[in-house]
Amino acid sequence: MAESAAAPIDVARESRRSRRRPNVAGRRRSETARLGQRAVELSRFYAGKIETVPKVPVRSLRDFALWYTPGVAEVSRTIQAEPDTSFELTGRWNTIAIVTDGSRVLGLGDIGPEAALPVMEGKALLFKWLGGVDAVPLPVRTRTPDELIATVERLAPAFGGINLEDIASPKCFGILEQLQRRLPIPVWHDDQLGTAAATIAGFLNALELTHRSVREVRTVLLGAGAANLATARLLLALGQDPRRLSIVDQRGILHAERTDLDELELHNPWKFRLALKTDGGGRTGDLGAALDDADVLLAASTPVPNTIRAEHLRRMHPEPIVFALANPDPEIWPDDARAAGAAVVATGRSDFPNQVNNSLIFPAVFRGILDARARGIPDAVVIAAARELARHAHDRGLTATHLLPTMEEFDVFPHVAAAAADAAVAQGLARHKLSHDEYLARARQRMGRSARLVRALLRARLTPAMPRPGSGAPGGSA
Amino acid sequence: MTAPAEAPADAAATGESSPRPIHVRPARPADLPALVPLLLRLKRLNEEFDPLLRVRDDAEGQAREVLAASLADPKAVVLAAEGVGPDRDRIVGLVHAIVRERPFYQPTREGVILDIYLLPLYRRHGVGEYLLKETSEALRARGAGVVIAEFPAQNEIASRFYAKRGFRPITARHARSL
Repeated sequence: MAESAAAPIDVARESRRSRRRPNVAGRRRSETARLGQRAVELSRFYAGKIETVPKVPVRSLRDFALWYTPGVAEVSRTIQAEPDTSFELTGRWNTIAIVTDGSRVLGLGDIGPEAALPVMEGKALLFKWLGGVDAVPLPVRTRTPDELIATVERLAPAFGGINLEDIASPKCFGILEQLQRRLPIPVWHDDQLGTAAATIAGFLNALELTHRSVREVRTVLLGAGAANLATARLLLALGQDPRRLSIVDQRGILHAERTDLDELELHNPWKFRLALKTDGGGRTGDLGAALDDADVLLAASTPVPNTIRAEHLRRMHPEPIVFALANPDPEIWPDDARAAGAAVVATGRSDFPNQVNNSLIFPAVFRGILDARARGIPDAVVIAAARELARHAHDRGLTATHLLPTMEEFDVFPHVAAAAADAAVAQGLARHKLSHDEYLARARQRMGRSARLVRALLRARLTPAMPRPGSGAPGGSA
Repeated sequence: MTAPAEAPADAAATGESSPRPIHVRPARPADLPALVPLLLRLKRLNEEFDPLLRVRDDAEGQAREVLAASLADPKAVVLAAEGVGPDRDRIVGLVHAIVRERPFYQPTREGVILDIYLLPLYRRHGVGEYLLKETSEALRARGAGVVIAEFPAQNEIASRFYAKRGFRPITARHARSL
């Protein structure tokens, strides 16, 4: 933040901080290095994280007369006559593509499609393990958004949904918008929608916990990347007053008369429209000006602790809600935020309470919309999933340290899936309409199956056991 | 001159909230301090399209001189767009146009829109249309039989705006550095 560079740093406070957290960053760095080394070792051993496995019996080669030619020709004719039967007669209904151009992978930047592959494989594993979704990693070598859009359009007949991943902002907005408009299947960009939906779920519960209403709160978004621009759109859909919403980026509060607005209209029309709509929440200036008497701060900016400082939070309305979601290091450490008066604090990390984690959302949302064979995924479906996630934490008792379900609360996910499926039905987008209970039962069955499958393969030694660290074991499945 | 009824289709398509009508009047020398920054914003936007449109360091003084000269020229058109309601008396946009002779072609005079700029908050809602209409009328009153808009070739937003209103490319200007 340009703003934070200008303010003097309180040296005494800085040294207190380092005493309280002796060399956390250093410890974390060595831990990350150790995990990295082990990941390379295991990647070499297993040579990939997913594979295709037949899901039908094959008693002898004769069965291929059914699974393949000549029998399969009749299946093709049926689909030719009615293309939507591809969702019934093939695996399309449960298969998605994880598409990336490798332009913004994790914190690594533009590393290209090959280097993005292990990340997409990992995502595919998460999709399968948590959601029972068959996900195909598909890094593609495209240079322009139009090339990527055309590529995905050509791939769509094989898939029941598309998950866009790790595509740089702002081109990710136009790509998502175009593909959602053109394809007859749901298209999702997890860096926008997954993160935004999890944020919204935590936000709704934080409001409830502090007795606030979405129509009245003054909200500040710090960072104007993929996640926060999607969060802003969802907030407005939920009834947030645009004139009480300030979006802050490196240049300060985003308002209608900022001199970079003409440039934004050309290069980032999504941010431009939000600038006009919110007009800075009626304010101009820096983060501090935005936070004056604000109720909520949702930060998804740069992983630099101290981007948000205690004196920032002291300018907020009493008992403020503070989400510091930058990964791996939050913009302010939770204990510092609480010391500065924050009533509720959330981060993106699993080692602090209230982790805002897109894994709470994307496997369940895909489970639901695939079970509904949905034609699309409008914001109403995203919001329904967020509300359902929020409801479960609520039903188990909201506290300042229990704002959202944790990843261990597996039983929540089928409910989120069923809520997404119900919303697809309500939006008239479901090819396969079922009752809530039927969607829930299907989601439970599908979501539980993957973990059983992985364990069964391991027990049967079809998946080799994990080698000990540094054992230098040769490739197990290669 | 007040803004016509806002085009509802336009507002619905952009999803924007309440329309912000403007009021257009001929500019006066006293408007110069408000007009110069708007003209500079336009020129800085043009920088985005081509390195040969890089704004000079002395552009602010130039803007003042150019606009002052046009204000004094009965053949030129300088319009100021003002806000209405609480924004009354605030200049939120400008139009700068001139009339050129056409020695070889008919019609014999062309009105050339050199600069047209509105602050972002006042765009859409049909105000561009209104500004164009007022400008065209002012140019017609000065003898122009054709109206020409000049803007950077790469400005697709401007291309679309004019194409929608019946403009077509007529001459092209291609450039390279020397």
